Amino acid sequence: MRKSRSGLNQSLVRQETIAGYLFLLPSLFFFLVFVVYPMFMCIYTSFFDSNMGKNTVDTFIGFGNYKELFQDKIFLGALRNTVVIVVVAVPTVCAFSLWVASAITDMKPVLTSAFRVIFYLPVVTGSVAVTVVWKWMYNNYYGIFNYLLKSAGVIDKNINWLGDARYALWCIILILFTTSVGQPIVLYVSALGNVDQSLVEAAEVDGATPMQVFWKIKWPQIMPTTLYIVVITTINSFQCFALIQLLTSGGPNHSTDTVMYYIYYTAFKLYRYGYGNAMGVVLMLIIALLSAVQFKLGQSQD
Amino acid sequence: MKNQKSKAYRIFSLVIVIVLAILFTFPLYWIITGSFKTGKEINSTTPVWWPTTWTLKNYEKLMSKFKAPLFELTVPFSQYFTEDGTPSVAFAGPTVPAAVRWMVNTVWMAVAAMLLTCLTASLAGYALAKKRFIGRSLIFTLIVCAMALPKQVILIPLIREMSALKLYNTMSAVVYPIVGWPFGVFLMKQFAEGIPGEILESARIDGASEMKTFTTIVYPMIKPGVGALAIFTFISSWNDYFMQLIMLSSNKNLTISLGIANMQAENQTDFGLIMAGAAFAAVPIIIVFVIFQKYFTKGITMGAVKG
Amino acid sequence: MKKLLALVLTLCMVFALFGGSAAYADDVTISLWTYPIGGWGNSEIVDKLIADFEAANPGIKVTVEYLAYADGDDKVNTAIEGNAAPDLIMEGPERLVANWGAKGYMVDLAELWDDADKAEILPVVQAACFNKAGASYEYPLCMTAHCMAINLNRFQAVGADKLIDLDTHTWTTDQFIEAVKLLAAENPNVAAIYCSGQGGDQGTRAIINNLYGGTFTDADHTKYTADSPENIKALELLAGLEGVNFDPAINGGEEINLFRQGILDMAFCWNIGAQLNTDNNDAGLTNDGDTIVCMAFPTDQAQPALCGGIWGFGIFDNGSAEKIEAAKTFIKYMADSAATADAVKASTYFAVRDTADGVDLTKIYDGNEIMSEYTKLMPFLGDYYQVVPGWAEARTAWWNMLQKVGSGADVTEAVTEFCATANAAAGK
Repeated sequence: MRKSRSGLNQSLVRQETIAGYLFLLPSLFFFLVFVVYPMFMCIYTSFFDSNMGKNTVDTFIGFGNYKELFQDKIFLGALRNTVVIVVVAVPTVCAFSLWVASAITDMKPVLTSAFRVIFYLPVVTGSVAVTVVWKWMYNNYYGIFNYLLKSAGVIDKNINWLGDARYALWCIILILFTTSVGQPIVLYVSALGNVDQSLVEAAEVDGATPMQVFWKIKWPQIMPTTLYIVVITTINSFQCFALIQLLTSGGPNHSTDTVMYYIYYTAFKLYRYGYGNAMGVVLMLIIALLSAVQFKLGQSQD
Repeated sequence: MKNQKSKAYRIFSLVIVIVLAILFTFPLYWIITGSFKTGKEINSTTPVWWPTTWTLKNYEKLMSKFKAPLFELTVPFSQYFTEDGTPSVAFAGPTVPAAVRWMVNTVWMAVAAMLLTCLTASLAGYALAKKRFIGRSLIFTLIVCAMALPKQVILIPLIREMSALKLYNTMSAVVYPIVGWPFGVFLMKQFAEGIPGEILESARIDGASEMKTFTTIVYPMIKPGVGALAIFTFISSWNDYFMQLIMLSSNKNLTISLGIANMQAENQTDFGLIMAGAAFAAVPIIIVFVIFQKYFTKGITMGAVKG
Repeated sequence: MKKLLALVLTLCMVFALFGGSAAYADDVTISLWTYPIGGWGNSEIVDKLIADFEAANPGIKVTVEYLAYADGDDKVNTAIEGNAAPDLIMEGPERLVANWGAKGYMVDLAELWDDADKAEILPVVQAACFNKAGASYEYPLCMTAHCMAINLNRFQAVGADKLIDLDTHTWTTDQFIEAVKLLAAENPNVAAIYCSGQGGDQGTRAIINNLYGGTFTDADHTKYTADSPENIKALELLAGLEGVNFDPAINGGEEINLFRQGILDMAFCWNIGAQLNTDNNDAGLTNDGDTIVCMAFPTDQAQPALCGGIWGFGIFDNGSAEKIEAAKTFIKYMADSAATADAVKASTYFAVRDTADGVDLTKIYDGNEIMSEYTKLMPFLGDYYQVVPGWAEARTAWWNMLQKVGSGADVTEAVTEFCATANAAAGK
């Protein structure tokens, strides 16, 4: 009896495994061939001195690329910039979109959806088209920022926004910000709409201030949304490339290099593929770690 | 007292939101008005807020600059048999301005990525959520780790791989990595988690095949999630400038974003032309967005509730 | 399940539908990628040239792609890595010979040079098109001297026009400094040392080298000498000169735009193509109608040394002998036949040879006033040093150096670092 049962279980397990893999097959095919395999190749080549050239032979140099990497001031700067972008963009996007969402959510439905559309516009307009306009707005000589600030008497000398290492990265973060808040606002509006109103009313009857109502009642209920927003904004911020390539090319003086841009730069301007791949591996490790942490956090919240 | 304060706050926040809304609409406003300005006005050193004379010259230039066939149907897999590794064209559409072709390419790319992603991810998400099989947790861990991976990281191996597969400079080279990106699988898994096990169990007892169970029971239950994923994938592949940049090289294979970026890269930047290109790229998708706004927001929200 | 697999397979097939270039049954199709070399960046003009070529050479089809200076190199590099390099490319020796040729991607064209070519083509151009080992990866078509430009009306307004010789188009370093000082009193943006992007680097090099007679490389084109005292002195002068701003936010093309818009009084990124441009106004006028005058770079030497631009064709070795042959046919047709006059005129530059296949090329611009005036600058053509090894890496480092100087770094330190990087690349 017992034996036949385990036999049944075994066949069930086998059946489930086969079915499971068949369902996974199409997805796994693309995942393994176009993500995992290149990832593996990336790790592999990172141990070689691999350069552009028809007749060049890759030579194995062990951790040579990695050793160089951590002495490369430009790479470390790029790493720092990447971290700055993520660390600044993620919380501000969350806070800003939550604020806008709570401000527009009590308005008339028409207004709410109008504002929702407006804040989503930069996302659908497309990063390249938006970037073109921002480039003009930041222009040192005839850009609108300098024009307005000068007209208002705030500054008396034009600021070269994208040409000044002090401002350039922040200018990029600002654009990234405007193209990132659209989706979180939509999400928060609906999350706030789903907050249990009876709890809110009960708290108000008990004399809770709006602040207390927000933090004690609404915030815990929108927590899953917040986590989702954190995840997508993190992904989005790490992928910030078009802005840098089109606006500053990493300049001035590498002050807006991110690891993503520097990989591209190393590969196609310096022709050092192995070195570029080593950077990719370092970034991969950082991101995998971060994803795992975020995922664990998300799970413990459930 | 409390009410008054909150009223003042409301007015304050309305003002701020309106100011922000202006800032957010400005790029679009500038693109559209700019595309109708004369060269003199667009190059003016003090901003010209509204075109004094409206001109279509920029659009004429956009439409006349390059030409390309509207579409080309190539023989599948023919690139593996031709001598130079380019697929042979079975049928080409009428010659149109390249900008139109870029638009066709972009829509095609985004739709293809969307369909393929939804199909593969919903199947895989269901399997990961509901099937108990060997290696499941390993695959899932891999997926979670790779989820946030920027594609730039694997740029060099990916180019080499695409060239070895003779997919370089084809839409497939852009589409496949998007499909392989595991975020969709993760999202669909979260949705499929919500399917009660008893329903699946009873379907099995009734003798329904795996595929039938999926199409009749699972799919209807995760449909909202598929919608969310569809919208997410469409928008993100539309904006996935990086993959397009490294994978597409010939003019007729460009996407609209690349087309505009190319105009910007030219030595004597023609802002009017760029604005016309940007307007041409942005306006259709914005109209689609405004019309389907409800579904968009619904789709986006669905993703988060479960995600 | 089978249905599903079938569906996936069909989808894959469907997605193979788009893309790839057209192939014709019996014709050889070659692809040409061209940088915006005058009219060679304009599809209307190029289509005409290609149509003529195809009519004269049945059996060969040419598809053209247009590259931009800002990201063209990245594109070619990506394509090389993607095994999809073009068959033909139109560019200068600095990229064809010193970069892609040196890396082994190009076909040696030495046998294309017959004795007639060697007699007809200018020696300086010949030297640039061959590498040290005697291989030629470029067959040249046209050339020009890169110069700078000034806004004459602005100069007249502050009386600085007396400092320039409008007849010979020359001025000295002291006159330049004096002019900048006069102009800066009216306009804080007299000139910009643009430090972003890929193209236009020759303008920044030329102004720095000319001021005190420095050179960019040694005479043998083996190492970079940008850290010489003359160059450092020039850089320090420019960095300290009121009105001349190092601007890391703009590239050469944007500098030209700013100059045309009347924001800058001078442009360092200029040549005859820019002088002939009629996009926003008549040739030789800014958008507001001020007169643009081409000038040699100011120098304290007897004679300025202008940076040359040489352009021609190179062939990428994509493994098909048939295509290489067709590409050679194309080159000979464009650069050494009766059709060469049209090909040169399309570029708006000058021919690298006096005759091609018996056709006199020295008088193709006769009657064109702007071109005739520009020929006065051609004798100042200096050494074509861009063929020094490691050029592409050096150029990238050059921009960084300028950005550093612009952000206040010590000039000597920045230039020394540049030379170290560049010479390391040259030694590879």
